[in-house]
Amino acid sequence: MKNSPMVVCVLLLISGSLAGADVLSDARARFRDGEYGQAAKLFERSLEKSPPSAAVFFEMGRALVKTGQEARAALNFHRALILDPRFAPARSALQEANVALGISPSKQDWRARVVERIPLDSLTLAGTGLFWAGAFAGLAAFFPTVLRRRRLLVGTLFLALGLSLLSVAWLCDPRITLTNTAIVLTNGGTPLLSSPADQSEKIASLPQGSIVDVLSQRGRWFYGQLPGGARGWFLTEGIVPLIPPA
Amino acid sequence: MTGKTMKRVFVVLAILLPLCLRGQEVAAGLSGNQAQVGEPVQLMVTVRGARGAEVPQKLSVKGLQINLAGRSTQFEMRNFKMSSTLTYTYLVVPQFEGEFTIPSFDVQIEGKTFRTQAMKLSVSGDARAPQVPGLPQQNAGPLPSGQPVSADEGEPFFADLILSKKKVFVGEVVPLELRFYFNSRIGGQVGERPNFGGEGFTVQKFSNAVKREQVVNGTNYTVFSFQSAITAVKSGTLEIPEATLDARLQLPGKAPQGFDSFFNNFPLPQGMFTDNRDVSLKTKPMRIEVLPLPKDGRPEDFSGAVGKFTMEASVSPRKASAGEPVTLKVAVSGQGNFEGMGTPLLTGDEGWRSYPPSDKFQSTDAVGFTGEKTFEFPLIARQDQTRTPGVRFSYFDPSTEKYGVLAQDPLEVDAKAGGAPPPASGTPAAPPGDEPAPPAAPPSTPDVAAMSGGSSSWTALFFRKEFLIANASLAAAWLAVFLIAALRKFPQSRAGREMARKKHLRDAFAGLRDVEPAGFYERAKDCIFLRFDAGGDDLATAAKIDSSPLPPEFKASLHRVIERHGESKYAAGGAAPPSVEERQAVISMLKELETRYEK
Repeated sequence: MKNSPMVVCVLLLISGSLAGADVLSDARARFRDGEYGQAAKLFERSLEKSPPSAAVFFEMGRALVKTGQEARAALNFHRALILDPRFAPARSALQEANVALGISPSKQDWRARVVERIPLDSLTLAGTGLFWAGAFAGLAAFFPTVLRRRRLLVGTLFLALGLSLLSVAWLCDPRITLTNTAIVLTNGGTPLLSSPADQSEKIASLPQGSIVDVLSQRGRWFYGQLPGGARGWFLTEGIVPLIPPA
Repeated sequence: MTGKTMKRVFVVLAILLPLCLRGQEVAAGLSGNQAQVGEPVQLMVTVRGARGAEVPQKLSVKGLQINLAGRSTQFEMRNFKMSSTLTYTYLVVPQFEGEFTIPSFDVQIEGKTFRTQAMKLSVSGDARAPQVPGLPQQNAGPLPSGQPVSADEGEPFFADLILSKKKVFVGEVVPLELRFYFNSRIGGQVGERPNFGGEGFTVQKFSNAVKREQVVNGTNYTVFSFQSAITAVKSGTLEIPEATLDARLQLPGKAPQGFDSFFNNFPLPQGMFTDNRDVSLKTKPMRIEVLPLPKDGRPEDFSGAVGKFTMEASVSPRKASAGEPVTLKVAVSGQGNFEGMGTPLLTGDEGWRSYPPSDKFQSTDAVGFTGEKTFEFPLIARQDQTRTPGVRFSYFDPSTEKYGVLAQDPLEVDAKAGGAPPPASGTPAAPPGDEPAPPAAPPSTPDVAAMSGGSSSWTALFFRKEFLIANASLAAAWLAVFLIAALRKFPQSRAGREMARKKHLRDAFAGLRDVEPAGFYERAKDCIFLRFDAGGDDLATAAKIDSSPLPPEFKASLHRVIERHGESKYAAGGAAPPSVEERQAVISMLKELETRYEK
């Protein structure tokens, strides 16, 4: 009986994950039956109970598209791509949702091209492995041996290569680069103003589905930057971060 | 206002008037450039910025009888600036038919001579339909709605509606103009926009008022003109109701009671006493005939556009990667009902996924009758494509009363097929082209889940606990190995050796005081050897002492200690043990040696 609390915890965890799996199965069944609104709700519930999954976000986005909620669908496609940047169907679906929202396609930078091709976690692990291999090879050069210079050279090369891979993974990982990025879900979009006041000069309009970097917050106003570089203030209502807060 | 105050105002005005009258100019014009024999026409000479002018009493032109009929003065004060207008009116009576030119003539103002421009008058003898003098001639275009209510001379205000057509088609945009005439002598304010509307037609937003001067029946009028366009929405006879414009006018009034009769002897400026009156100017209602669009020849894809149009198309980008949309931009320009027209039709778009286009209208006139409407079709290739869909646009041309079709051939493009999700499991894949546009078949969710890899955490690997622990462990291991290696290598290193030497030196030095007298020089020699690090070789140590920068007497003392050690070790019977003083002196010397080397 000593281990009974641990057993209870394990049982609770198992039952929780089973319940999550049931909700997900139900959501998928609803989706197949064409009950898209209900399916979207169940996908959302499933995500609340289980760890985040690119596939579930994608499926939820597709259900939302069917119910005409393109902006929310775009948010879920974004999230699916953050979790799995190589998820091609999510990328296509996001482009389609953006087209439907009237958001012009943004130009792909080198980072987007990297994450489309290389799994970032693998890149990070490879970089870490090379880094430590280099570090230990360099260390081996301290011991008296005939291969001392070669070990030092190999160690330096591995170290440099590992650091390079880690740098690329750091710069490309959307979970790092999109920490302060948000999407506009407000119906009809929201105006970008020159100062945090309702009557201030309008710089631009942020249509529904726009992506914006939040730089700071003052009361009910965000100060942010558009992908084009323009900066201004906009209301916090209807602005949802791409990466959900912990 | 009392009579005394009135007097003061008058005196002030009398003083200010000459100061305020500036910028003299002269203009002349006829009330109409066409007339019949015997029908009088007025020639008005307007002088601005002067209190008086000298003009000829009569002008002699063969075939025309031109006599000065009178003069009038108008003062106006705006923003405390006074201006005056003198109008000299001549009556021109044509004597016979023909084309006449009234030559320019001189007008003298305060010693300066101004000259009017020459004017032309066409005189006919034919009986013609009554014409509204002063209104511009309608050249097969706009038709006046009828005689303005001001046909009588001196009417203070009236309104007119001019419609370019009286027979139109359903959906055809017909420009119209509303003109509101006010006698130039009347001041006041007019409403910003006229009220106009009715059943059976829609009205475009009115343009801003255009203000101009015009002479009608010999009277100067200020005309406010508003442009718009109407579109009939049903066939039959369409009643165009009156359009109204509200105004608050300052009509000439009488001097109030109490105004000193003395001042009645002076010519008082006009506008000095006015009556404010709210009026509503109304145009006359009219009728137009609205024809239905013909059924014969109507294309099946008729867009609803009525007018005259041209079409151009372009695509961007010309190269698109998988899933990337391209935009087919179609610009329809010309004249017509841009608001009511439908979108152009895409042809041959089976390999594309197209979405409803966005549209933007750029008008080149004030009422949205002429301009360019741009449609942007987002397209995503379902299969690899080298050409865009074609475009077709049909419209009805009211001028030819026929339907027209504009067609655009496909444009060259290089678009890769998008990575659309696979069709549902168990559902046969639809052949390309049969798949309905945007909503593709729902994907099999298990398949989708299988396609997705990725992470199950919002935290990047760099910040995950397991990653950090693994790296910390590796770092600790590396550090441990490094320390072991360093410790093993240290004794062989220069620093290690130096450290060991120093330790021996310290030990040797420490034992000097307590050592047996027989072993004193042995230890003292060890201290010197360790200091010079000569490896126990007497000659090498001696050489190092000699080459050191120590003072010669100090070097000699060191040599002496080494010699004394030799004596104590090798002399027969041994050397005498060192005295306490001698030991103290050697210890002091060795201390000084250390001090010197430490420095």
